Amino acid sequence: MKQIRQIIERMVTVMLTLSGSVTSLAILLIIIFLFKEGFGLFSSPSVEKGYALCVQTSNPIETLTPEQIKKIFDYEITTWDEVGGSKEEIMVFRFDDIFSMYPEEEFGTDYELLPEKLGEVIAQNPYIIAYIPEQYLPQKNTSVKTLPQKNIQITDFFGGKEWLPTATPSPQFGVLPLIMGTLWVSFFAILIALPLGMGVAIYMSELAGARTRKLLKPAIELLAGIPSVVYGFFGLVVLVPLIQKALNLPVGETAFAGSLILAIMALPTIITIAEDAMGGTPRAMREASLALGATRWQTIYKVIVPYASSGIMAAVVLGIGRAIGETMAVLMVTGNAAVMPNSLFQSVRTIPATIAAELGEAPAGGAHYQSLFLLGCILFVITMLISASAEIISKRQHNKEI
Amino acid sequence: MKKTILTTVILIVALFSAQAQRIKGSDTMLPLSQKAAEEFMKIKPSYAVTVTGGGSGVGITALLDGTTDLAQLSRKIKFDEKNKLKAKGKTVKEVTAAYDALAIVVHPSNKVTNLTREQLEGIFTGKIKNWKEVGGANMPIVPYSRETSSGTYEFFKESVLKKKNYMSGIMSMPATGAIIQSISQTKGAIGYVGLAYLNKQVKAIHVSYDQGKTYIKPSVANAKNKTYPIVRPLYYYYDTAKESKVKPFINYILSAKGQKIVSQVGFITVK
Amino acid sequence: MNKKTKQKIAFIIFRILGLLVVGILFWILGFILYNGIGAISWDFLTTAPKEGMTAGGIFPAIVGTLYLIAGSVIFAFPIGVMSAIYMNEYAGNGWIVRFIRIMTNNLGSIPSIVFGLFGMALFVNTLGFGDSILAGSCTLGLLVLPLIIRTTEEALKAIPDSYRTGSLALGASKLQTIRRVILPMAFPNVITGLILSIGRVSGETAPILFTVAAYFLPKLPNSIFDQVMALPYHLYVIATSGTDIEASRPIAYGTALVLIAIVLLMNLLATALRRYFGRKVKTN
Repeated sequence: MKQIRQIIERMVTVMLTLSGSVTSLAILLIIIFLFKEGFGLFSSPSVEKGYALCVQTSNPIETLTPEQIKKIFDYEITTWDEVGGSKEEIMVFRFDDIFSMYPEEEFGTDYELLPEKLGEVIAQNPYIIAYIPEQYLPQKNTSVKTLPQKNIQITDFFGGKEWLPTATPSPQFGVLPLIMGTLWVSFFAILIALPLGMGVAIYMSELAGARTRKLLKPAIELLAGIPSVVYGFFGLVVLVPLIQKALNLPVGETAFAGSLILAIMALPTIITIAEDAMGGTPRAMREASLALGATRWQTIYKVIVPYASSGIMAAVVLGIGRAIGETMAVLMVTGNAAVMPNSLFQSVRTIPATIAAELGEAPAGGAHYQSLFLLGCILFVITMLISASAEIISKRQHNKEI
Repeated sequence: MKKTILTTVILIVALFSAQAQRIKGSDTMLPLSQKAAEEFMKIKPSYAVTVTGGGSGVGITALLDGTTDLAQLSRKIKFDEKNKLKAKGKTVKEVTAAYDALAIVVHPSNKVTNLTREQLEGIFTGKIKNWKEVGGANMPIVPYSRETSSGTYEFFKESVLKKKNYMSGIMSMPATGAIIQSISQTKGAIGYVGLAYLNKQVKAIHVSYDQGKTYIKPSVANAKNKTYPIVRPLYYYYDTAKESKVKPFINYILSAKGQKIVSQVGFITVK
Repeated sequence: MNKKTKQKIAFIIFRILGLLVVGILFWILGFILYNGIGAISWDFLTTAPKEGMTAGGIFPAIVGTLYLIAGSVIFAFPIGVMSAIYMNEYAGNGWIVRFIRIMTNNLGSIPSIVFGLFGMALFVNTLGFGDSILAGSCTLGLLVLPLIIRTTEEALKAIPDSYRTGSLALGASKLQTIRRVILPMAFPNVITGLILSIGRVSGETAPILFTVAAYFLPKLPNSIFDQVMALPYHLYVIATSGTDIEASRPIAYGTALVLIAIVLLMNLLATALRRYFGRKVKTN
């Protein structure tokens, strides 16, 4: 009997230990999955997987950058000399074009004659650039030259300013506008939320009577409890038209709308933490200040706020963290235009919104899919940094209190 | 005893899954599939039809993985998608269920009524930036697009932009409903939506595909007689191995009753 | 200006700010309530969507959300409580506990969309659950795990050590102490944490986008491998898509109202419980 009990005790201990490790395990798995998928992007070719770019052997061009490829296929670069070749006009050829040049029967039942036909087209046009599937490359044809495949570069990803993940043949994964957009919206959200939150925190911790506090506290908890999709819906039907009309803007879906919604959403975090920090001010310090003849207001801004400064900083940092990761509300109100932000009253696209909007339509395993996981990695790293710095800052506050 | 229970359970599960149909893919076709599913199940209560969106690409991926029975696509299956299916030993069958016309819409107060394809291309690739360049008021153009790689996005790119890429940093909305909403609020806005989505809050542009000789109004009649140029077929794709399973639903869609639903949700019938 | 007037002005401003925050809350709640109350009816709560989401109700979405709540709680609650017991009762105060605590905090600060990505990669694709209640529940479960651990740990910490030593001194084993003494005492606060996490789960959209949510389902799911509709996703869908946005607006307001009602009810319940038990403990 006793033995059985001992065995049970030991089993329970093991189970408890295992449960204790679940969160660490989850983080580890998140890191593995996110980074494995995400960094796969840099071993993906910069031209869509399974496709190749071909020119005639007579063409002196050896390589093209993804940006040049995109511009050629958008007819923004129209002659070869712009990319280091001869002065001739570029003839753009997409794989689908072949089907309008020959009747379907000529390719054979299993398309076994397709490479031959493609070779023919390329051989006939000296200034062609052809975008065709690798499996139909006319390998035997000596007048066809395949441009070497380069992988997507880290510098293109982090330094690029164009986010066109489905552009063919060369998708553009410039993540800069997305990172800037995220920071932009979050920064202004905190700029709006901080004074408001500080005011309320001061009011609650220093001025309000017990009854008012009893009313305010649940109100703020409720504000934190409202789901983000409801905030988004509210923003979409109320704030966006309101902003557009009140400020007479060409569009209502702006960074400003996103910042306002995020500010409301970050308020509870800021208020709760800042109030805690201020409430921790030792009684002796307050009384000393009041005894010296300072008014309550002077005591607040000369003694209490400086004393709680670390806690307030932590509140700000955590508020930013909340804002950066917010998805649905931002997706619904910011208009999602991937441009470098330079004004509050223009549309921006954030990282979380990009993931939410595009993941469903990105084919699993492709470069687009991987790039979205890489965005997830960026988000993960940013929030980890934020929670670490909040930890450090609030530890400072803690030390002060002891 | 245990065995009998097990077999009964398996049988019941099999029974249920035989009747369950999953449709996945294009968001454009959601209203059609949803309504059709609703009506279909009224006639055949033993069927359970699940409809999920996500985009045309998602539909094909799901067909590839066998996680859907029918893929709904607002564009034709791509060459390499067909190849991928072939590599997995699946042959798919295509059914054209309806046609959809894309209407170009602007704010009701906009004076511009006619636009050529070339002008539209300029607007959506970012070369034309002000309404006065196309005969309107002096006001910046705000183009709205769907999210990347939805079938609508790709079809518009193919038909109107002649495969050129959209300007970078175009406003993109997660769904067509949101585009209508935004355009009805934004004076300088322009966007593209399925004919089914047209309402009084927005104004439809007459489009010319012959350098401005004739401008055609987007309407069911004009799409049917093929004078309106921006029309695309809407497809269902399925694995031929599962034909018997999906056939009743496909037949229903193609029947007179099904086609009535097609026009009810604002698409154009196949016959 | 003398310092008294300055103080008066400052205090008036703070009062206004306090009022403003309450005002914002009432604005949002009032707006949803005012527009949504008309849509709520028995039929709305008990029938499926009709006419391309412009008529009918939201019954499948309500049921779907309930399934997801149940699924994630079944997954996260035992693990969370056990994890907290381990940290507070077994692991002592060494680096292991500090490490776990940091990890738990970190997990809690990860944005919900990252959970969505992860859930899709692990549960949907790698483990092959597909878009299903199982995958969605696991993802949501991970999301609320830190919340459950934190609240349980606080509850355990609040119990004076004298109870533990007392029980052990009477010859009870550690497990018996936990089961008979610690858990019953911590129970109210643990339940509060559970209710809070239910509120959180019912409102999350981003994690279920790619793991479980369906646009339209005619029938209720009959296994954990089925997809479900869910209230927050349904609200997102009818707010942004659908052929007739104006016609589906009342339904959107109604859905938002139901969603808010569930979430707020859970929060109020948690607050009330906390107060009730808090008073009880004090009078003891």
